[in-house]
Amino acid sequence: MFYTQVTDGKLKKFVLCESCAKKKGITTVDGLLMGGDLFGGSPPQTQIPDLIVDLNHEDCSACGFTLEDFRKVGRLGCPECYQVFSREITGRLSSMHKGGVHKGYLPEGLAKKQALESELAGLAAKLASAIEEERFEDAAIIRDEISEVEKSGKGVVGT
Amino acid sequence: MMRFTTLLRHPADWMTGHRAKTSVVLTSRVRLARNLAKAPFPGWARKKERQAVRCSLQGKLEAIPGMKDGFSHELCDLEPLQKQVLVERHLISREQAARSEGSGSVVNRKQTLSLMINEEDHLRIQAILPSLQLKEAFRLAHTIDQSLEKVVDFAIDPTLGYLTACPTNLGTGMRASSMLHLPGLVLSDQIGQVLKGINKLGLAVRGLYGEGTESLGNLYQISNQSTLGESEEEILDRLTKVIGDVALYELQARKKLMTEDPVMIRDRIGRAAGNLSYAHIITSKEALNHLSMLRLGADLQLLPADLVETCDRLFMETQPAHLQWMAGRKLEPEARDILRAQMIREQLQSSLPPAIDITGKES
Repeated sequence: MFYTQVTDGKLKKFVLCESCAKKKGITTVDGLLMGGDLFGGSPPQTQIPDLIVDLNHEDCSACGFTLEDFRKVGRLGCPECYQVFSREITGRLSSMHKGGVHKGYLPEGLAKKQALESELAGLAAKLASAIEEERFEDAAIIRDEISEVEKSGKGVVGT
Repeated sequence: MMRFTTLLRHPADWMTGHRAKTSVVLTSRVRLARNLAKAPFPGWARKKERQAVRCSLQGKLEAIPGMKDGFSHELCDLEPLQKQVLVERHLISREQAARSEGSGSVVNRKQTLSLMINEEDHLRIQAILPSLQLKEAFRLAHTIDQSLEKVVDFAIDPTLGYLTACPTNLGTGMRASSMLHLPGLVLSDQIGQVLKGINKLGLAVRGLYGEGTESLGNLYQISNQSTLGESEEEILDRLTKVIGDVALYELQARKKLMTEDPVMIRDRIGRAAGNLSYAHIITSKEALNHLSMLRLGADLQLLPADLVETCDRLFMETQPAHLQWMAGRKLEPEARDILRAQMIREQLQSSLPPAIDITGKES
Protein backbone atom coordinates (compact mmCIF):
# COMPACT_ATOMS: atom_id res chain seq x y z
CA MET A 1 0.00 0.00 0.00
CA PHE A 2 1.37 3.42 -0.91
CA TYR A 3 0.59 6.37 1.32
CA THR A 4 1.55 9.95 0.78
CA GLN A 5 1.18 12.47 3.54
CA VAL A 6 1.55 16.18 2.99
CA THR A 7 2.24 18.18 6.13
CA ASP A 8 3.09 21.85 6.08
CA GLY A 9 3.80 21.61 2.40
CA LYS A 10 6.28 18.78 2.97
CA LEU A 11 5.76 15.51 1.14
CA LYS A 12 6.22 12.24 3.00
CA LYS A 13 5.84 8.95 1.18
CA PHE A 14 5.30 5.62 2.87
CA VAL A 15 5.05 2.10 1.59
CA LEU A 16 3.07 -0.18 3.90
CA CYS A 17 2.39 -3.86 3.62
CA GLU A 18 -1.25 -4.85 3.93
CA SER A 19 -1.08 -6.01 7.53
CA CYS A 20 0.80 -2.90 8.69
CA ALA A 21 -1.71 -0.74 6.89
CA LYS A 22 -4.51 -2.57 8.68
CA LYS A 23 -2.87 -1.95 12.03
CA LYS A 24 -2.65 1.74 11.22
CA GLY A 25 -6.31 1.71 10.35
CA ILE A 26 -5.90 2.11 6.60
CA THR A 27 -7.80 -0.62 4.88
CA THR A 28 -9.41 1.17 2.00
CA VAL A 29 -9.17 4.49 0.32
CA ASP A 30 -12.06 5.59 2.57
CA GLY A 31 -10.10 4.62 5.65
CA LEU A 32 -7.22 6.66 4.38
CA LEU A 33 -9.36 9.67 3.71
CA MET A 34 -10.49 9.75 7.32
CA GLY A 35 -6.99 10.99 7.95
CA GLY A 36 -5.54 10.60 11.40
CA ASP A 37 -2.02 10.87 12.50
CA LEU A 38 -0.07 7.83 11.46
CA PHE A 39 3.48 8.80 11.86
CA GLY A 40 3.56 11.57 14.45
CA GLY A 41 3.23 15.26 13.81
CA SER A 42 0.02 16.97 12.87
CA PRO A 43 -2.60 15.31 10.69
CA PRO A 44 -2.48 15.74 6.93
CA GLN A 45 -3.75 19.13 5.90
CA THR A 46 -4.02 18.73 2.19
CA GLN A 47 -7.06 18.91 0.02
CA ILE A 48 -8.56 15.47 -0.20
CA PRO A 49 -8.03 14.91 -3.95
CA ASP A 50 -4.30 15.51 -3.57
CA LEU A 51 -3.92 12.96 -0.86
CA ILE A 52 -3.72 9.96 -3.12
CA VAL A 53 -0.86 10.13 -5.51
CA ASP A 54 -1.54 8.71 -8.90
CA LEU A 55 0.97 5.87 -8.83
CA ASN A 56 1.27 5.90 -12.59
CA HIS A 57 2.95 9.24 -12.41
CA GLU A 58 5.23 8.77 -9.50
CA ASP A 59 8.84 9.46 -10.48
CA CYS A 60 11.96 8.00 -8.94
CA SER A 61 13.14 10.60 -6.43
CA ALA A 62 16.74 9.42 -6.78
CA CYS A 63 17.14 9.81 -10.54
CA GLY A 64 13.94 11.35 -11.96
CA PHE A 65 13.04 8.33 -14.06
CA THR A 66 9.31 7.92 -14.71
CA LEU A 67 7.06 4.92 -15.09
CA GLU A 68 6.37 6.13 -18.59
CA ASP A 69 10.11 5.99 -19.37
CA PHE A 70 10.22 2.42 -18.13
CA ARG A 71 7.24 1.42 -20.25
CA LYS A 72 8.86 3.02 -23.26
CA VAL A 73 12.40 1.60 -23.01
CA GLY A 74 12.01 -1.45 -20.76
CA ARG A 75 15.03 -0.41 -18.73
CA LEU A 76 15.33 1.49 -15.46
CA GLY A 77 17.06 4.69 -14.43
CA CYS A 78 18.93 3.60 -11.32
CA PRO A 79 18.97 0.85 -8.67
CA GLU A 80 16.48 2.85 -6.58
CA CYS A 81 13.90 2.58 -9.40
CA TYR A 82 13.33 -1.06 -8.46
CA GLN A 83 11.70 0.11 -5.23
CA VAL A 84 9.69 2.88 -6.82
CA PHE A 85 8.31 0.84 -9.72
CA SER A 86 8.27 -2.49 -7.90
CA ARG A 87 4.64 -3.27 -8.69
CA GLU A 88 5.08 -2.73 -12.41
CA ILE A 89 8.35 -4.69 -12.47
CA THR A 90 7.13 -7.63 -10.38
CA GLY A 91 4.27 -8.12 -12.81
CA ARG A 92 6.72 -8.58 -15.67
CA LEU A 93 9.24 -10.86 -13.99
CA SER A 94 7.34 -14.10 -14.49
CA SER A 95 7.52 -13.77 -18.25
CA MET A 96 11.31 -13.16 -18.12
CA HIS A 97 12.59 -15.51 -15.45
CA LYS A 98 12.24 -18.95 -13.89
CA GLY A 99 11.33 -17.42 -10.54
CA GLY A 100 10.96 -14.15 -8.70
CA VAL A 101 13.48 -14.68 -5.92
CA HIS A 102 17.26 -14.60 -6.26
CA LYS A 103 18.84 -17.99 -5.54
CA GLY A 104 22.35 -17.29 -6.73
CA TYR A 105 25.52 -15.92 -5.26
CA LEU A 106 25.46 -13.09 -2.74
CA PRO A 107 28.51 -11.46 -1.14
CA GLU A 108 29.29 -13.14 2.19
CA GLY A 109 27.98 -10.44 4.54
CA LEU A 110 24.76 -10.10 2.62
CA ALA A 111 24.16 -13.84 2.41
CA LYS A 112 24.58 -14.15 6.19
CA LYS A 113 22.27 -11.24 6.75
CA GLN A 114 19.64 -12.81 4.53
CA ALA A 115 19.88 -16.18 6.27
CA LEU A 116 19.55 -14.42 9.60
CA GLU A 117 16.52 -12.46 8.49
CA SER A 118 14.71 -15.50 7.20
CA GLU A 119 15.49 -17.38 10.44
CA LEU A 120 14.14 -14.49 12.49
CA ALA A 121 11.03 -14.27 10.33
CA GLY A 122 10.38 -17.98 10.85
CA LEU A 123 10.79 -17.63 14.63
CA ALA A 124 8.54 -14.59 14.73
CA ALA A 125 5.80 -16.54 12.99
CA LYS A 126 6.21 -19.41 15.46
CA LEU A 127 6.01 -16.95 18.34
CA ALA A 128 2.83 -15.42 17.00
CA SER A 129 1.09 -18.74 16.65
CA ALA A 130 2.25 -19.84 20.11
CA ILE A 131 0.74 -16.70 21.61
CA GLU A 132 -2.43 -17.10 19.65
CA GLU A 133 -2.80 -20.66 20.87
CA GLU A 134 -1.96 -19.53 24.40
CA ARG A 135 1.07 -21.81 24.63
CA PHE A 136 2.90 -19.27 26.75
CA GLU A 137 5.72 -21.55 27.87
CA ASP A 138 6.59 -22.26 24.23
CA ALA A 139 6.33 -18.56 23.50
CA ALA A 140 8.87 -17.77 26.20
CA ILE A 141 11.30 -20.32 24.77
CA ILE A 142 10.88 -18.93 21.27
CA ARG A 143 11.36 -15.40 22.53
CA ASP A 144 14.67 -16.42 24.13
CA GLU A 145 15.66 -18.10 20.87
CA ILE A 146 14.94 -14.90 18.98
CA SER A 147 17.11 -12.79 21.24
CA GLU A 148 19.83 -15.42 20.98
CA VAL A 149 19.75 -15.30 17.17
CA GLU A 150 19.70 -11.51 17.20
CA LYS A 151 22.73 -11.47 19.46
CA SER A 152 24.64 -13.87 17.21
CA GLY A 153 23.89 -11.67 14.22
CA LYS A 154 25.33 -8.51 15.74
CA GLY A 155 28.58 -8.93 13.87
CA VAL A 156 26.97 -9.41 10.48
CA VAL A 157 27.37 -6.56 8.04
CA GLY A 158 24.40 -4.26 7.84
CA THR A 159 22.39 -5.63 10.77
CA MET B 1 50.24 -1.13 -20.01
CA MET B 2 49.45 -3.31 -23.01
CA ARG B 3 49.32 -1.42 -26.29
CA PHE B 4 46.53 -1.85 -28.82
CA THR B 5 48.95 -3.23 -31.41
CA THR B 6 50.28 -5.79 -28.91
CA LEU B 7 46.75 -6.84 -28.13
CA LEU B 8 46.06 -7.35 -31.82
CA ARG B 9 49.28 -9.20 -32.52
CA HIS B 10 48.65 -11.78 -29.83
CA PRO B 11 45.12 -13.13 -30.17
CA ALA B 12 43.77 -15.25 -27.32
CA ASP B 13 43.76 -19.04 -27.49
CA TRP B 14 39.98 -19.01 -27.76
CA MET B 15 40.17 -16.86 -30.89
CA THR B 16 42.47 -19.10 -32.86
CA GLY B 17 41.16 -22.55 -32.18
CA HIS B 18 43.58 -23.96 -29.59
CA ARG B 19 40.93 -26.16 -28.20
CA ALA B 20 40.09 -29.69 -27.21
CA LYS B 21 39.34 -32.48 -29.68
CA THR B 22 35.73 -31.65 -30.40
CA SER B 23 35.59 -28.58 -32.56
CA VAL B 24 31.79 -28.20 -32.59
CA VAL B 25 31.87 -25.86 -29.60
CA LEU B 26 34.20 -22.98 -30.41
CA THR B 27 33.99 -20.83 -27.29
CA SER B 28 32.34 -20.49 -23.90
CA ARG B 29 31.56 -17.07 -22.57
CA VAL B 30 30.17 -15.90 -19.23
CA ARG B 31 29.34 -12.34 -18.36
CA LEU B 32 28.23 -10.87 -15.07
CA ALA B 33 26.32 -7.57 -14.98
CA ARG B 34 27.11 -5.37 -11.99
CA ASN B 35 26.11 -1.85 -11.01
CA LEU B 36 27.18 0.68 -8.43
CA ALA B 37 24.60 1.12 -5.66
CA LYS B 38 24.35 4.87 -5.77
CA ALA B 39 24.61 5.87 -9.42
CA PRO B 40 22.11 6.09 -12.29
CA PHE B 41 22.50 3.34 -14.90
CA PRO B 42 24.67 4.32 -17.92
CA GLY B 43 21.73 4.65 -20.32
CA TRP B 44 20.04 7.22 -18.08
CA ALA B 45 23.08 8.90 -16.53
CA ARG B 46 24.34 12.32 -17.61
CA LYS B 47 27.72 12.63 -19.27
CA LYS B 48 29.29 13.82 -16.01
CA GLU B 49 27.84 10.91 -14.07
CA ARG B 50 29.07 8.40 -16.65
CA GLN B 51 32.53 9.94 -16.45
CA ALA B 52 32.50 9.76 -12.64
CA VAL B 53 31.61 6.05 -12.74
CA ARG B 54 34.31 5.34 -15.31
CA CYS B 55 36.93 7.22 -13.30
CA SER B 56 36.05 5.42 -10.10
CA LEU B 57 36.02 1.98 -11.75
CA GLN B 58 38.88 1.99 -14.24
CA GLY B 59 41.66 2.26 -11.66
CA LYS B 60 40.10 -0.37 -9.43
CA LEU B 61 39.79 -2.77 -12.36
CA GLU B 62 43.40 -2.24 -13.44
CA ALA B 63 44.53 -3.00 -9.89
CA ILE B 64 42.92 -6.47 -9.72
CA PRO B 65 45.74 -9.03 -9.60
CA GLY B 66 44.71 -10.89 -12.77
CA MET B 67 44.27 -7.70 -14.78
CA LYS B 68 47.66 -6.10 -14.23
CA ASP B 69 49.65 -4.99 -17.28
CA GLY B 70 46.61 -5.55 -19.46
CA PHE B 71 44.91 -3.32 -22.01
CA SER B 72 43.03 -0.41 -20.45
CA HIS B 73 41.48 2.52 -22.26
CA GLU B 74 38.66 4.97 -22.25
CA LEU B 75 36.83 4.15 -25.48
CA CYS B 76 36.82 7.83 -26.53
CA ASP B 77 40.60 7.61 -26.90
CA LEU B 78 40.35 4.88 -29.55
CA GLU B 79 39.81 5.35 -33.27
CA PRO B 80 36.45 4.11 -34.60
CA LEU B 81 38.34 1.37 -36.46
CA GLN B 82 40.10 0.20 -33.31
CA LYS B 83 36.77 -0.03 -31.51
CA GLN B 84 35.34 -2.02 -34.40
CA VAL B 85 38.25 -4.46 -34.17
CA LEU B 86 37.54 -4.94 -30.46
CA VAL B 87 33.88 -5.61 -31.29
CA GLU B 88 34.91 -8.21 -33.88
CA ARG B 89 37.02 -9.86 -31.18
CA HIS B 90 34.06 -9.82 -28.76
CA LEU B 91 36.13 -7.78 -26.28
CA ILE B 92 33.66 -4.88 -26.26
CA SER B 93 30.04 -4.84 -27.39
CA ARG B 94 28.55 -3.01 -30.35
CA GLU B 95 26.42 -0.97 -27.98
CA GLN B 96 29.48 0.14 -26.04
CA ALA B 97 31.39 1.07 -29.17
CA ALA B 98 28.48 3.18 -30.37
CA ARG B 99 28.24 5.18 -27.18
CA SER B 100 31.83 5.47 -26.10
CA GLU B 101 31.77 8.68 -24.05
CA GLY B 102 32.50 7.65 -20.49
CA SER B 103 32.90 4.02 -21.51
CA GLY B 104 35.99 2.02 -20.77
CA SER B 105 37.58 -1.32 -21.52
CA VAL B 106 40.04 -3.31 -19.42
CA VAL B 107 41.33 -6.57 -20.91
CA ASN B 108 43.87 -8.94 -19.36
CA ARG B 109 46.97 -9.93 -21.35
CA LYS B 110 45.64 -13.37 -22.20
CA GLN B 111 42.39 -11.74 -23.39
CA THR B 112 40.33 -14.23 -21.44
CA LEU B 113 38.87 -11.48 -19.27
CA SER B 114 37.25 -8.36 -20.61
CA LEU B 115 35.78 -5.78 -18.25
CA MET B 116 33.42 -3.31 -19.89
CA ILE B 117 32.67 -0.05 -18.11
CA ASN B 118 29.40 1.74 -18.85
CA GLU B 119 27.95 -0.72 -21.27
CA GLU B 120 24.25 -1.22 -20.58
CA ASP B 121 25.31 -1.66 -16.94
CA HIS B 122 28.10 0.09 -15.05
CA LEU B 123 30.24 -2.99 -15.29
CA ARG B 124 30.19 -6.18 -17.25
CA ILE B 125 32.71 -8.83 -16.31
CA GLN B 126 33.23 -11.15 -19.25
CA ALA B 127 35.30 -14.32 -19.36
CA ILE B 128 35.86 -16.30 -22.58
CA LEU B 129 37.51 -19.69 -22.95
CA PRO B 130 37.86 -22.12 -25.86
CA SER B 131 35.49 -25.14 -26.27
CA LEU B 132 32.77 -26.09 -23.80
CA GLN B 133 34.07 -24.68 -20.50
CA LEU B 134 31.20 -22.61 -19.14
CA LYS B 135 31.87 -23.43 -15.50
CA GLU B 136 35.55 -22.60 -15.83
CA ALA B 137 34.65 -19.33 -17.51
CA PHE B 138 32.21 -18.55 -14.69
CA ARG B 139 34.92 -19.25 -12.13
CA LEU B 140 37.21 -16.75 -13.86
CA ALA B 141 34.55 -14.03 -13.88
CA HIS B 142 33.51 -14.86 -10.32
CA THR B 143 37.06 -14.36 -9.03
CA ILE B 144 37.08 -10.85 -10.49
CA ASP B 145 33.63 -10.19 -9.04
CA GLN B 146 34.78 -11.28 -5.58
CA SER B 147 37.89 -9.13 -5.56
CA LEU B 148 35.86 -6.15 -6.74
CA GLU B 149 33.09 -6.44 -4.17
CA LYS B 150 35.66 -5.66 -1.48
CA VAL B 151 36.28 -2.23 -2.95
CA VAL B 152 33.04 -1.43 -4.78
CA ASP B 153 29.53 -1.10 -3.33
CA PHE B 154 27.38 -3.05 -5.80
CA ALA B 155 23.62 -2.58 -6.11
CA ILE B 156 22.10 -5.71 -4.58
CA ASP B 157 18.63 -6.49 -3.32
CA PRO B 158 18.26 -9.60 -1.12
CA THR B 159 15.18 -10.71 -3.08
CA LEU B 160 16.00 -9.56 -6.60
CA GLY B 161 19.74 -10.18 -6.41
CA TYR B 162 22.03 -7.97 -8.48
CA LEU B 163 20.10 -4.97 -9.78
CA THR B 164 20.60 -4.29 -13.48
CA ALA B 165 19.54 -1.61 -15.94
CA CYS B 166 17.27 -4.10 -17.68
CA PRO B 167 15.09 -6.39 -15.54
CA THR B 168 15.90 -9.26 -17.91
CA ASN B 169 19.35 -9.48 -16.26
CA LEU B 170 18.21 -9.34 -12.61
CA GLY B 171 19.31 -11.88 -10.04
CA THR B 172 22.60 -13.49 -10.96
CA GLY B 173 23.24 -10.90 -13.68
CA MET B 174 24.79 -13.83 -15.50
CA ARG B 175 24.55 -14.56 -19.19
CA ALA B 176 26.43 -17.66 -20.24
CA SER B 177 26.78 -18.69 -23.86
CA SER B 178 28.67 -20.93 -26.22
CA MET B 179 29.39 -20.51 -29.90
CA LEU B 180 28.68 -23.65 -31.92
CA HIS B 181 29.53 -24.63 -35.47
CA LEU B 182 26.58 -26.66 -36.78
CA PRO B 183 26.98 -27.34 -40.51
CA GLY B 184 25.81 -30.95 -40.18
CA LEU B 185 22.47 -29.93 -38.68
CA VAL B 186 22.06 -27.23 -41.32
CA LEU B 187 22.90 -29.52 -44.27
CA SER B 188 20.60 -32.25 -43.00
CA ASP B 189 17.77 -29.75 -42.47
CA GLN B 190 17.48 -30.53 -38.78
CA ILE B 191 18.61 -27.15 -37.52
CA GLY B 192 15.11 -25.64 -37.31
CA GLN B 193 13.91 -28.48 -35.15
CA VAL B 194 16.93 -28.28 -32.86
CA LEU B 195 16.61 -24.50 -32.46
CA LYS B 196 12.93 -24.89 -31.62
CA GLY B 197 13.83 -27.47 -28.98
CA ILE B 198 16.43 -25.16 -27.46
CA ASN B 199 13.91 -22.32 -27.30
CA LYS B 200 11.41 -24.59 -25.60
CA LEU B 201 13.94 -25.24 -22.84
CA GLY B 202 13.98 -21.52 -22.11
CA LEU B 203 17.35 -20.95 -23.76
CA ALA B 204 18.10 -18.44 -26.51
CA VAL B 205 19.80 -19.01 -29.87
CA ARG B 206 21.43 -16.16 -31.77
CA GLY B 207 23.80 -15.50 -34.63
CA LEU B 208 27.48 -14.61 -34.55
CA TYR B 209 27.29 -11.18 -32.91
CA GLY B 210 24.52 -11.73 -30.42
CA GLU B 211 21.10 -10.22 -30.25
CA GLY B 212 19.43 -9.53 -33.57
CA THR B 213 22.20 -10.85 -35.77
CA GLU B 214 21.73 -13.48 -38.44
CA SER B 215 23.57 -16.75 -38.42
CA LEU B 216 26.54 -16.77 -40.79
CA GLY B 217 28.95 -19.60 -41.39
CA ASN B 218 26.61 -22.01 -39.59
CA LEU B 219 27.67 -20.43 -36.30
CA TYR B 220 25.12 -20.28 -33.50
CA GLN B 221 25.25 -18.87 -30.01
CA ILE B 222 23.25 -20.63 -27.31
CA SER B 223 22.65 -18.81 -24.02
CA ASN B 224 20.47 -18.76 -20.92
CA GLN B 225 17.57 -16.37 -20.90
CA SER B 226 16.44 -16.47 -17.29
CA THR B 227 18.79 -14.99 -14.71
CA LEU B 228 16.50 -14.91 -11.65
CA GLY B 229 15.11 -17.81 -9.63
CA GLU B 230 17.97 -20.23 -10.26
CA SER B 231 21.52 -20.33 -8.94
CA GLU B 232 24.49 -19.83 -11.25
CA GLU B 233 25.30 -23.50 -10.92
CA GLU B 234 21.81 -24.63 -11.92
CA ILE B 235 21.89 -22.37 -14.98
CA LEU B 236 25.37 -23.52 -16.01
CA ASP B 237 24.53 -27.20 -15.49
CA ARG B 238 21.44 -26.99 -17.67
CA LEU B 239 23.21 -25.00 -20.36
CA THR B 240 26.25 -27.29 -20.40
CA LYS B 241 23.99 -30.32 -20.74
CA VAL B 242 21.97 -28.82 -23.61
CA ILE B 243 25.07 -27.59 -25.47
CA GLY B 244 26.71 -30.97 -25.04
CA ASP B 245 23.58 -32.61 -26.46
CA VAL B 246 23.47 -30.24 -29.44
CA ALA B 247 27.15 -30.95 -30.15
CA LEU B 248 26.35 -34.65 -30.08
CA TYR B 249 23.40 -34.21 -32.49
CA GLU B 250 25.74 -32.32 -34.78
CA LEU B 251 28.29 -35.14 -34.81
CA GLN B 252 25.53 -37.69 -35.42
CA ALA B 253 24.16 -35.59 -38.28
CA ARG B 254 27.61 -35.44 -39.88
CA LYS B 255 28.04 -39.18 -39.56
CA LYS B 256 24.65 -39.81 -41.10
CA LEU B 257 25.36 -37.41 -43.98
CA MET B 258 28.67 -39.10 -44.69
CA THR B 259 26.94 -42.49 -44.83
CA GLU B 260 23.88 -41.47 -46.78
CA ASP B 261 25.08 -38.67 -49.01
CA PRO B 262 28.90 -38.55 -49.09
CA VAL B 263 28.97 -37.14 -52.63
CA MET B 264 26.90 -34.12 -51.63
CA ILE B 265 29.19 -33.43 -48.65
CA ARG B 266 32.36 -33.82 -50.74
CA ASP B 267 30.86 -31.60 -53.40
CA ARG B 268 30.08 -28.84 -50.89
CA ILE B 269 33.50 -28.99 -49.30
CA GLY B 270 35.29 -29.24 -52.64
CA ARG B 271 33.42 -26.25 -54.05
CA ALA B 272 34.16 -24.23 -50.93
CA ALA B 273 37.86 -25.10 -51.16
CA GLY B 274 37.84 -24.21 -54.85
CA ASN B 275 36.12 -20.89 -54.33
CA LEU B 276 38.35 -19.88 -51.46
CA SER B 277 41.52 -20.97 -53.28
CA TYR B 278 40.79 -19.13 -56.51
CA ALA B 279 38.40 -16.26 -55.75
CA HIS B 280 39.71 -12.70 -56.20
CA ILE B 281 36.65 -10.92 -54.82
CA ILE B 282 34.80 -12.32 -51.84
CA THR B 283 32.30 -10.77 -49.41
CA SER B 284 32.54 -11.55 -45.72
CA LYS B 285 29.27 -13.46 -45.86
CA GLU B 286 30.47 -15.67 -48.71
CA ALA B 287 33.83 -16.18 -47.02
CA LEU B 288 32.22 -17.23 -43.73
CA ASN B 289 29.97 -19.74 -45.43
CA HIS B 290 32.80 -21.31 -47.46
CA LEU B 291 35.16 -21.33 -44.49
CA SER B 292 32.46 -23.15 -42.57
CA MET B 293 32.47 -25.93 -45.21
CA LEU B 294 36.27 -26.06 -45.17
CA ARG B 295 36.21 -26.39 -41.40
CA LEU B 296 33.70 -29.23 -41.72
CA GLY B 297 36.01 -30.91 -44.24
CA ALA B 298 38.89 -30.76 -41.77
CA ASP B 299 36.70 -32.14 -38.98
CA LEU B 300 35.63 -35.01 -41.25
CA GLN B 301 39.30 -35.68 -42.07
CA LEU B 302 38.70 -35.01 -45.73
CA LEU B 303 41.15 -32.13 -45.38
CA PRO B 304 44.21 -31.66 -43.13
CA ALA B 305 43.19 -31.33 -39.48
CA ASP B 306 45.13 -28.10 -38.89
CA LEU B 307 42.77 -26.34 -41.29
CA VAL B 308 40.34 -26.00 -38.37
CA GLU B 309 42.73 -23.55 -36.79
CA THR B 310 43.32 -21.72 -40.06
CA CYS B 311 39.57 -21.39 -40.58
CA ASP B 312 39.01 -20.03 -37.08
CA ARG B 313 41.76 -17.49 -37.56
CA LEU B 314 40.34 -16.47 -40.94
CA PHE B 315 36.82 -16.20 -39.45
CA MET B 316 38.30 -13.45 -37.30
CA GLU B 317 40.89 -11.82 -39.55
CA THR B 318 38.71 -11.45 -42.63
CA GLN B 319 36.12 -9.35 -40.84
CA PRO B 320 35.85 -5.77 -42.13
CA ALA B 321 37.61 -3.92 -39.32
CA HIS B 322 40.42 -6.47 -39.06
CA LEU B 323 41.10 -6.16 -42.80
CA GLN B 324 41.24 -2.39 -42.63
CA TRP B 325 43.44 -2.45 -39.58
CA MET B 326 45.85 -4.74 -41.39
CA ALA B 327 45.76 -2.57 -44.52
CA GLY B 328 46.45 0.44 -42.33
CA ARG B 329 43.68 2.51 -43.85
CA LYS B 330 39.96 2.76 -44.38
CA LEU B 331 38.78 0.57 -47.26
CA GLU B 332 35.56 0.64 -49.25
CA PRO B 333 33.62 -2.64 -49.23
CA GLU B 334 34.82 -3.52 -52.78
CA ALA B 335 38.46 -3.07 -51.80
CA ARG B 336 37.89 -5.14 -48.68
CA ASP B 337 36.43 -7.97 -50.74
CA ILE B 338 39.59 -8.01 -52.89
CA LEU B 339 41.93 -7.92 -49.91
CA ARG B 340 39.90 -10.63 -48.15
CA ALA B 341 40.14 -12.93 -51.16
CA GLN B 342 43.87 -12.34 -51.42
CA MET B 343 44.44 -13.09 -47.74
CA ILE B 344 42.43 -16.30 -47.88
CA ARG B 345 44.24 -17.49 -51.04
CA GLU B 346 47.61 -16.88 -49.44
CA GLN B 347 46.68 -18.64 -46.20
CA LEU B 348 45.19 -21.64 -47.93
CA GLN B 349 48.10 -22.08 -50.33
CA SER B 350 50.22 -23.30 -47.47
CA SER B 351 47.43 -25.14 -45.66
CA LEU B 352 45.66 -26.90 -48.49
CA PRO B 353 47.73 -29.63 -50.12
CA PRO B 354 47.98 -29.28 -53.90
CA ALA B 355 46.03 -32.51 -54.42
CA ILE B 356 43.04 -32.13 -52.16
CA ASP B 357 41.71 -35.47 -51.12
CA ILE B 358 38.09 -34.80 -51.81
CA THR B 359 38.07 -36.69 -55.05
CA GLY B 360 35.49 -39.18 -53.84
CA LYS B 361 37.91 -42.09 -53.91
CA GLU B 362 37.27 -44.34 -50.92
CA SER B 363 40.38 -44.57 -48.82
